[in-house]
Amino acid sequence: MAQLISIDPVTRIEGHLRIDVEVEDGKVKDAWSSGTMFRGIEMLLKGKHPFDAQQVTERICGVCPLVHGTAASYNLDDALGVELPDNARLIRNLCLGANFIQSHILHFYHLAALDYVDVAAVVNYSGTNPALKAIKGKVAGLVKAGDVYPFLPRYESDDYVSDPEIATILVGHYVEALEMRKKAQEMLSIFYGRMPSFVGTVPGGVTVQPTVSNIAAFRARLAELRFWIDNVYVQDILTVAGVPAYQIFFTAGDSGGNYLAYGGFDEDSKGTVKFLPRGYITGNDVASVKEFDENKITESVKHSWYTDECEGLHPKEGKTEPEVGKDGAYSFLKAPRYDGKAMEVGPMARMLVLAGLELSGKISQDKQKLMPLVKALGLDAKVMELATAGKFGILPRHAMRALECKLIADQMEVWLDELKPGEKIYDKKDIPDDSYGRGLVEGPRGALGHWIHIKGKKIDNYQAIVPTTWNAAPRDKEGNRGPIETALLGLPVPDAENPINVVRCVRSFDPCLACAIHVIHPEHNGVKSFRVV
Amino acid sequence: MEGKGVTRRQFIKYAGATAALLGLSQSLVPEIARALEELTSGKPPVLWIQGQNCTGCSVSFLNTNFPNAAELVLDKLSVRYHPTVMAAAGDLAFGVLEETAKELAGKYVLVVEGPIPTAEDGEFCTFGLEKETASFNGYQRRKDKPMTVWMEELVPGAAAVIALGNCASFGGIPAANASVTGTKPAQEIVKEISKDKPVINIGGCPSHPDWFVGTVLDYLINKRVPELDKHNRPKAFFGKLIHENCERRASFDAGLFLEDWNDNNPDFKLCLFKMGCKGPVTYADCPTRRWNSGVNWCVGANAPCHGCAEPTFYKELSPLYEPLPNVNFLGINTTAETLGWVAAGATAVGIGAHYLYKQLGKKAPEGGEE
Repeated sequence: MAQLISIDPVTRIEGHLRIDVEVEDGKVKDAWSSGTMFRGIEMLLKGKHPFDAQQVTERICGVCPLVHGTAASYNLDDALGVELPDNARLIRNLCLGANFIQSHILHFYHLAALDYVDVAAVVNYSGTNPALKAIKGKVAGLVKAGDVYPFLPRYESDDYVSDPEIATILVGHYVEALEMRKKAQEMLSIFYGRMPSFVGTVPGGVTVQPTVSNIAAFRARLAELRFWIDNVYVQDILTVAGVPAYQIFFTAGDSGGNYLAYGGFDEDSKGTVKFLPRGYITGNDVASVKEFDENKITESVKHSWYTDECEGLHPKEGKTEPEVGKDGAYSFLKAPRYDGKAMEVGPMARMLVLAGLELSGKISQDKQKLMPLVKALGLDAKVMELATAGKFGILPRHAMRALECKLIADQMEVWLDELKPGEKIYDKKDIPDDSYGRGLVEGPRGALGHWIHIKGKKIDNYQAIVPTTWNAAPRDKEGNRGPIETALLGLPVPDAENPINVVRCVRSFDPCLACAIHVIHPEHNGVKSFRVV
Repeated sequence: MEGKGVTRRQFIKYAGATAALLGLSQSLVPEIARALEELTSGKPPVLWIQGQNCTGCSVSFLNTNFPNAAELVLDKLSVRYHPTVMAAAGDLAFGVLEETAKELAGKYVLVVEGPIPTAEDGEFCTFGLEKETASFNGYQRRKDKPMTVWMEELVPGAAAVIALGNCASFGGIPAANASVTGTKPAQEIVKEISKDKPVINIGGCPSHPDWFVGTVLDYLINKRVPELDKHNRPKAFFGKLIHENCERRASFDAGLFLEDWNDNNPDFKLCLFKMGCKGPVTYADCPTRRWNSGVNWCVGANAPCHGCAEPTFYKELSPLYEPLPNVNFLGINTTAETLGWVAAGATAVGIGAHYLYKQLGKKAPEGGEE
């Protein structure tokens, strides 16, 4: 018999997410994703000085402030007609890259790994490695004291990695990763002052001039992080992906085959060439990456707690009038669609777009970066197998995040070399009376867009569409599910008390709910009606 | 203690770092070492819940150094509930909140990150599930449990409440939308539930990891709420005006201001006042403590302080990149255009700069120094 399992809170993500799954015969038959917290940030920008946008939108999210601040800077640059100096573009790439590193490491080790590693197995470690013995001592101390928070309780499952040596190594890396992500934020603060909530990028450029000494300070930390990514992070992903019980997760958790990337990390001053390319894929047809058209984005609110007047609009004209308790609605997230389709965004979307362009020869052999790395790691056969099957599930999502982390970290060395101490970092421009701007960037969790309208030198309207709004979206007007909802279909849930596979799948998207629900239209900020469920 | 592999020597070293963190004299090191030793037996339970938050204060907390996050979470504290960190999800997760409230009443520290929306019975922020159900696609689905209800259940049994970050302490950015969501800072909600429950506000957007960790250690070691200012912030961290301690004050005195980020002065790091620096009205120890393991801070990155530790951030400090208006110098209202002259002139006639900033302080939203 079918039953409904409700998981709230989904922990080890950012923010407030509820997942409901209908389970029949041990498999997920249907799924609903609900964002359960609302703030309304854009309304407070109306009438404000345009430069404030960046500091305020950074506060949409404390896990990904970097990408909001960067999107806001490009958005304002566009509205002001800034010609961005190369030094500024490179420093923005370097700091955004540093945040990718911190975010991807944090995601795998601190948000996802406890779904795979049996921390309790650490007490069975019997080897002689002093570092591993120290980890064992720590965990044994917790067990002995009967206080194993925050590792227990957890969903029980018989497929956790319980080999004492591997489990101990992974738990050791969990602890090391805390220091590594901290180091990535220190690296970032060299140019941007501090993290979270940084100050080093402004409309027109950046605030810190590159010098021999700050470049050296950045490079030293980057070298350490690159070593760790290559020898620990990427290797641990391969270890987990090699566990026999997890082989079903190569295809289980496929989000429906549609992927979108705005493209990230500008390689020229106009932003026409991107280090991670722009494009979209439909129906899992990876080899034919299509050209992206911003005007095809709309947002549906049929199943969201907003009035029906907000239905089907482009974000530039977006409206957000809350209507809590609306019939048939179950989320504060809207449902963004591209050309009417739900799209997965994030590392998997970016890497599949890149792979598609490389495999179809649209990126010449000498400029390819992903497929050579895939080959070097011996993963090319697996990638081709998945491409042929037309399914990319939970494990590819983790793996592509790690590969992307490596590609970006390696490229950061190149950007450091391109910095020119003594040259311009800022293009001073006056605020126009009336102007539109937009900033489309890629953050750790996926495609992010900011739009602004400046009128009378003040902000008249500010809108953003955020990665998790794409991924964790509810159903749209036609009843089509969002990517996470689709990805959950068919997942095995043998034990209704312990729906571990459901949270494994949701976490593989690295959801960030604070980002996803933040919009309220300045002119329509009244709450229409309430029927509290 | 030896079972945990910690030596006496490590404890003393540790205590030294803690003393530095709290701004205490090194002569107190032996006493702190003793208190820290006691702490390792029976770790204080912590429940860390999130309202209309952005998780920035949790991320900032992970940047702590003395002790680092792993030591704190595994060795010093019993972090029973933290949605971003804990293994459990769903019923298992919020079950821990319910159990702890029942079994450890009076013993746990409640950390609140993000403010609490009260409009529409709290439906703007929910986590966990009620027993009651409502019909949903042919099923009886359990209802969302509002943050307001969690506060009612968890506040009475808390030994103390720590409001972490400007949002939880003062409403912060979500409070700008309070007309829709009815957002309130933690202390207002706590007062309605348990009038005399101690609330410690740790401001900052985000809060500095030392401000939080230092306060917790202070509380645990001395077994009392640390000395607070009138905004209920620990005086140890929010007692000093940024401008008075700024490494670029010499430039302010000399009238050397940054006006274009391409500017360069071979001898001076230029003052950010004309770029909108809120240092003259902001009480926090950023200039000496710095951020991210001391690597940098906002002014160190050639950027203005935005005043993120002030109760008035953001709304009343906007526009962030425009100079503070009408600064009062020696009783003369002055704007950024004439400031260089006034500052240089004042120095020339030998008026103590300290006096000047006291004048500025009067214009400031009231901080720790009264």
